[in-house]
Amino acid sequence: MVEQHRDAGTNPAPPDFEQVFLPHLDAAYNLARWLLRNDQDAEDAVQEAYMRAFKAFARFRGGDGKAWFMTILRNVCYTMIRKLRTTETPEPFDEEVHQPMGEPALQEAFRQKANAETLHASLEKLPDEFREIIVLHDLEGLAYKEIAAVAAIPIGTVMSRLARARRRLRIEIVAANTRESLT
Amino acid sequence: MNHDEAAKLLGPYRDGELDLATCLKLEEHLASCPACQQQLAGEQQVADIIREETPRFTPSPFLKTRIQAALREAHTAAAPVPWWKQFSPAWLASGLAAAALVLTVWAVGILQTRGIPQLAQDAISDHIRSLQVNHLMDVVSTDQHTVKPWFAGKLDYSPQVVDLGPSGYPLIGGRLDVLDHRNVAAIIYQRRKHYINLFIWPSDTTPLHEGACEQNGYHVLTWSQSGMNYLAVSELGTKELQDFVDMIQQQTIPSRPGE
Repeated sequence: MVEQHRDAGTNPAPPDFEQVFLPHLDAAYNLARWLLRNDQDAEDAVQEAYMRAFKAFARFRGGDGKAWFMTILRNVCYTMIRKLRTTETPEPFDEEVHQPMGEPALQEAFRQKANAETLHASLEKLPDEFREIIVLHDLEGLAYKEIAAVAAIPIGTVMSRLARARRRLRIEIVAANTRESLT
Repeated sequence: MNHDEAAKLLGPYRDGELDLATCLKLEEHLASCPACQQQLAGEQQVADIIREETPRFTPSPFLKTRIQAALREAHTAAAPVPWWKQFSPAWLASGLAAAALVLTVWAVGILQTRGIPQLAQDAISDHIRSLQVNHLMDVVSTDQHTVKPWFAGKLDYSPQVVDLGPSGYPLIGGRLDVLDHRNVAAIIYQRRKHYINLFIWPSDTTPLHEGACEQNGYHVLTWSQSGMNYLAVSELGTKELQDFVDMIQQQTIPSRPGE
């Protein structure tokens, strides 16, 4: 259908825009889906991000568009989250209470089982900022510097937040496994 | 490098984010610190698990098409902007010419057959028109027992009206529309801020095949059951529209002889 349009001489979006940003569609959708937790909202957010990126294209300074585009997408997602979750308050979490075991015990408990299902559920439980940083770094392969740009935080914060996010994720996984072995 | 400093850098070290000098200092400490070695193993473990086991969500193939269509529309809309900025007669004339050109291009685009069945195109047009002001519904009701009788006397058949309110697709009303060269019943459902038009008419001799197509972000699903043709059209995502259709199919009662 796309080719048909171009042949027919209607105005396609500038090919350079599509060439630079459409390859990031999968990464964008993955982040949006993890943040917004449902397909339709994620699709809406990604489309909105493309529209905003298109309007702001003149301000794009070239180079790898991934971080630039993810910044826009992330803003769209958080705007939606604020609208969607006005009533929801995050569960308070005390890392000290949740981590009664030391490093060796944690690794041992962890080794038992961490399948995709457990991981999905555990990642869903993390606060947005933790879930986001794991998705950006460990799934989408963004470097610390890129994450710092996308999330508008200093690189030191990227480092400490990622460390806390991973620790929290391990605790959630161990907790899930413990619950499972009790039932 | 002391132990506390080193412990903080183990994650970044594993991620390959440290500069060479810091790397060397850390490795020096690591060689003589069992606690740090243990923690590094933990970092490695969690990173491996995340990478291997975390599901990555992939978008529906429709999303790309929809975005490309929206981008083209935005691009077309952006084209005639300059003429009003420089408001002189000459510019105005060329601006108008540009606008006319854009309109022509747009109209040609609309008139083009884009490889989707005429019926689906007509249904999309009906759907778009129905979303324009005050055209969506002739009878406004969330009650299937109000919507169904409303069609009596307006059509030579009686469409089944099912309510999917409990499933998140509330019935909001009905309308008389034209499709497939005849008057048809349009039942309107809502999903969040989106609407679904469900067209129902007797299949007579030409039952509709089960099919799906998409154009400019609108999705059309067709099927026939119980002697009726069904066509659902919406700007909803495919998955949600498919869920809707599944529920309609399940809740539609097979026709009894003489009905």
